[in-house]
Amino acid sequence: MKYWPTRVVSILAGFGVCFLISALADASGNDYTKRLVVLAGVWVILSVSLNLINGITGQFSIGHAAFWQVGAYSAGIISVQHYANSGITGLPWLLLMMVAGALFAALAGLVVGLPSLRLRGDYLAIVTLGFGEIIRIIVQNQKPLGEAYGMNVSPKFQFTWLVWLTAFAAIAICRNLLKSAHGLPFLAVREDEVAASAMGVNVTRVKVTAFLIGSALAGVAGALFAHYEGFISPQQFRMEQSFIILTMVVLGGTGSITGSVLAAVALFYLPEKLRDMGPVTGGQLLAGAFATVLAVYLVKRVIDHFHGAKKEAAIRHLGIVLGCMALSFVLSIVLNQVPVLANARYEAEKLRMVIFSGVLIILMLVRPQGLLGHAEFSWEWLKRVLGQRRSEAAQTS
Amino acid sequence: MDLGTAFAAGLQLDFANLPQQLVNGILLGSIYALIALGYTMVYGVLRLINFAHGEVFMLGAYMALFVSWWLGYSPTATSLGQSSWVNLLMMLVASMVVCAIIGMLIELFAYRPMRSQPRIASLITAIGVSLMLQYAGALFLPNSPPQPIREEVNPYRNEVLQIPLKPRDAEFLEKIKSEEAEFNAAEAAVKTQMEVEGVKSEFDLSPEGRLLRETRNKERTDVTTMKSEYERSGVSLLIPYGQLIMFVTALALMLILRHIVMNTKPGRAMRAVSLDFDSASLMGINVNRIVTLTFAIGSALAGAGAMMSATFLGLSLTTFFGVQPGVKAFVAAVLGGIGNIPGAVLGGLLMGVAETLVVWSGYGDYKDAIAFVILIAVLLFRPGGLLGSSKVEKV
Amino acid sequence: MKRRSFLFIALGAVFGAGILAGCSGGGGSSESGGASGTTASGDTIKIGLVASLNGDQRPWGVDSERGVRLLVDQINEAGGVNGKKIELLIGDSNSDPQIGKSATEKLISDGAVVVLGEVASGITAQMAIACTEKAIPLVAIGATRDDISDKGPDIFRVCYRDSFQGPVMAKFAFEELGLKRVALMTDKKIPYSTGLSNSFRDYYTMLGGEIVDEQFYEGGSSTQFNAQLTNLKGKNPDGVFLSGYFTEVGPIVRQASQVGLTNVKFMGGDGWDSKEIINSGGEAIVGGYFCNHYSDQEDRPEVKAFLDAFVKKYNERPGTTMGALAYDAAGVAVEAIKAVTGDVSSKAVAAALHNLENYKGVSGDITFKGQGGNPPKRALVVELQADGTQKPVKAYAPTDVK
Repeated sequence: MKYWPTRVVSILAGFGVCFLISALADASGNDYTKRLVVLAGVWVILSVSLNLINGITGQFSIGHAAFWQVGAYSAGIISVQHYANSGITGLPWLLLMMVAGALFAALAGLVVGLPSLRLRGDYLAIVTLGFGEIIRIIVQNQKPLGEAYGMNVSPKFQFTWLVWLTAFAAIAICRNLLKSAHGLPFLAVREDEVAASAMGVNVTRVKVTAFLIGSALAGVAGALFAHYEGFISPQQFRMEQSFIILTMVVLGGTGSITGSVLAAVALFYLPEKLRDMGPVTGGQLLAGAFATVLAVYLVKRVIDHFHGAKKEAAIRHLGIVLGCMALSFVLSIVLNQVPVLANARYEAEKLRMVIFSGVLIILMLVRPQGLLGHAEFSWEWLKRVLGQRRSEAAQTS
Repeated sequence: MDLGTAFAAGLQLDFANLPQQLVNGILLGSIYALIALGYTMVYGVLRLINFAHGEVFMLGAYMALFVSWWLGYSPTATSLGQSSWVNLLMMLVASMVVCAIIGMLIELFAYRPMRSQPRIASLITAIGVSLMLQYAGALFLPNSPPQPIREEVNPYRNEVLQIPLKPRDAEFLEKIKSEEAEFNAAEAAVKTQMEVEGVKSEFDLSPEGRLLRETRNKERTDVTTMKSEYERSGVSLLIPYGQLIMFVTALALMLILRHIVMNTKPGRAMRAVSLDFDSASLMGINVNRIVTLTFAIGSALAGAGAMMSATFLGLSLTTFFGVQPGVKAFVAAVLGGIGNIPGAVLGGLLMGVAETLVVWSGYGDYKDAIAFVILIAVLLFRPGGLLGSSKVEKV
Repeated sequence: MKRRSFLFIALGAVFGAGILAGCSGGGGSSESGGASGTTASGDTIKIGLVASLNGDQRPWGVDSERGVRLLVDQINEAGGVNGKKIELLIGDSNSDPQIGKSATEKLISDGAVVVLGEVASGITAQMAIACTEKAIPLVAIGATRDDISDKGPDIFRVCYRDSFQGPVMAKFAFEELGLKRVALMTDKKIPYSTGLSNSFRDYYTMLGGEIVDEQFYEGGSSTQFNAQLTNLKGKNPDGVFLSGYFTEVGPIVRQASQVGLTNVKFMGGDGWDSKEIINSGGEAIVGGYFCNHYSDQEDRPEVKAFLDAFVKKYNERPGTTMGALAYDAAGVAVEAIKAVTGDVSSKAVAAALHNLENYKGVSGDITFKGQGGNPPKRALVVELQADGTQKPVKAYAPTDVK
């Protein structure tokens, strides 16, 4: 299969997926579902764009929400002040605003990127973190931007497909950069800055480019977010949001675009889905926590100390998991005999963030390289998997 | 105030306040420094940003709260006597011990399994631990409403150390006396009027009574104006005893830390580990024990800072209590050069003074941004922080 | 590859199982039944509550949940509304406007006919947008920001607005306390505080008083207020108006006495209301005045009944004023549902809310009729006593400040 056909298929598949997502969301007829789909798209853009800076180029940035905020507020304020007398309506205006958001965020990226060139590692991290806080505080003190309360953004545009199409574009940009000759320097800088520069890589340019593209994409996400929500406030761009974006990148597998996308969707949906969980008593909570810790400990032991066949390891994992499930079940019944524990009730709404952070720790402990490591989705991989299936099927029949 | 008008309004500098504000800044900075030490020590040995340090701080404050309850200063207790310094010492020790244990546990369960992994993975674990402590803590610790430690536990709460720089004008004293006499007369008039009218509250008085009240209020304003003019006629530094204790304790702990690091065997091992982790273990140092010790000491310092902030400043505790002090202290550590112990102290003090001066100059709304502005400015010229080294890691 | 994916499925399973096992394991023992269970049936009327059960607004979120739950349980114990039980759906906003909006959408999609909620104006604004899109009435609990009501036709609130509370305190300070020079201290991080400071400043200067200074801080990130207080002291004010929440007001006032800022009157808004303010402010805050919705010393039957019921259910007094306001918000919602004849739809409930008159709430009488969702409520100025109680000092009707 040659270059162009693959490319066309990829693009068509991407478009197809975007519109399928959009159509499914619309078909659900449920605003909650639809909203989650859109916001998931926004998080995918954020996570993919941070992955470019953090995962691919290895620049440790923990203030990504700042670029998101710059994009959202700049697009928002332009819309509020100039939409009425611009004469442009609908989609073109939104596209214009996305460009504006990208430009301003890229400018911010330049502001952070340039001085940070001399810094590395944790020093860069703290500068990006600080930059995020500075932006938040400046916004919080501006009357036209609504201070701490926030700002109404009108008009509102609610195109589900556009959000996902942008996400697709972000993925395509990063993927193409990575696969082309322009992208190799990025990886080189991540692996070893000194060596890369010795090999003739212009480290400065690579870092600034990464910051520019990454922040511009975050700015686009901001513009989309602002026009989708119709209301933005500094509260939405606080430091924890940056941490969550970073977590998505690391959890997906540093450098893996596919991983970033999957982790963004998973981490975004996890706290929302936890809303449906029923209330839990103190005994159940204790039993669940204990069994989970035990399972993690045992699984970790198997990973570290068992070097036999994969199949056997899998059987051990299964055994541990099932055993711990049974244990938690029994334990919860036992513990619920204690009146104090049985009477303490914890609603899911109060537990969701606890479980969220628990999942974070557990995943990092058992799989520090992230869900996918450096692995990526590709047609070859799909073909291989399908081929395997087919050959297995052929063998069994 | 937006940027434009803020600059247009110009700086409002009151130079009479400057010495006092510098003192305020140093008092504030000493706590930043104390927390920053924990960050910097852990970073020194493990090259790990311990994001959960702020949460250790928070738990230390809660420990102090619980000890104060246990000592009889619970929110519902009435008629509390004067506390003694023994109580304070108990709270301090309890906080430090509990924080040290928590720090060691976090290291053992969350960081040690990650030690051979990429640093960013440990960082995410640290973020996870920090979120876990915040949210899980909210389920079990009293935080609704946020709990303060009662001021009665602090026996020195009403004492203020005054250091006169320029004596006050004594002639005001006479005037104050006469003004006070007038005020007392007016007050008595209001009181009798209230009795005559038979009302309980002065806000229910009849029009004549209200006139009397007006006069009384005016007299009161005169008294306070005169008093503050008297105070302003001299310059003196005010240091509340509580905050003085904080400063002195912080200083003492830092000196002890310095002694431990520089003059004891574990301290030497700690320095060796921070210089080169692997070589240190080859030299027969029990690296795990040293790392544990580092976490214990760093967390104990945070516990001390937490207990003192919570007790002497009257802060209300929630499980998010440690987030902002943690971030500030982290900035202080980086400012001084992360991994460098004197650097953390210098960074903390510098940040405290800088923040205070920003407030002094009338830009209090940008107070929290200034720490980062200074940080970025410093890092531009000294990428390794003030006292840190910025050597490039060789291949 | 295979082993990995398997491991993941397995781990996901253990985690889910820990919870599931917990839920199912306790199925037998939990016959007491949580109000938030999903017992979907046509016999219940669902009302939704969005509250900050996680995050830095949690103290207020927990209180609003308790207040609403108390009322719902009372109604259900008394047989429900028109023979139907009220089912309370709770959504967590995680102190974040974006998540608050998601929670609102979820409650609406789960069938809530009316949504109650939020204390913070920023989150309420987002909820109001979501509710307006679906034509669901929203009853805000503590959002005092003026422009919340502009978000839609069916946005109600049970509290007064900033444009009332600030002037009340300004008038009280100027006329009753005779303060001519007042300084402000504002929490820049909380919209409530900036809004209240502004409305206080405007009215106070209009009365002829002088605002000598305004100092800022950020809630949650400030520990020592010496710098601001030293500045204030240099300006020599008669009184200080602290518009933030009690979590910061307490420490500020406690530290003020230590830096020699004595002989000034401390004043504030309803953000002061908490049983803990006396412990965090200490002696210095005794004699401080603030504007509240009700006082625990009032002898109105609603207040007494509410406090008794609250203490009986939760073994402590409400932590903040939001307990009472949430109780009232749920109260007006239920009152409106009672007034609906026939099918309980959100449209009918909204119409009934618009017609609500003289509901006897804990925080005073609430009337929505002809008010566009902003009930004209009285404000009560209270004085903090040494035992932590609030002595009512003066009540202001909406017509008193114009």
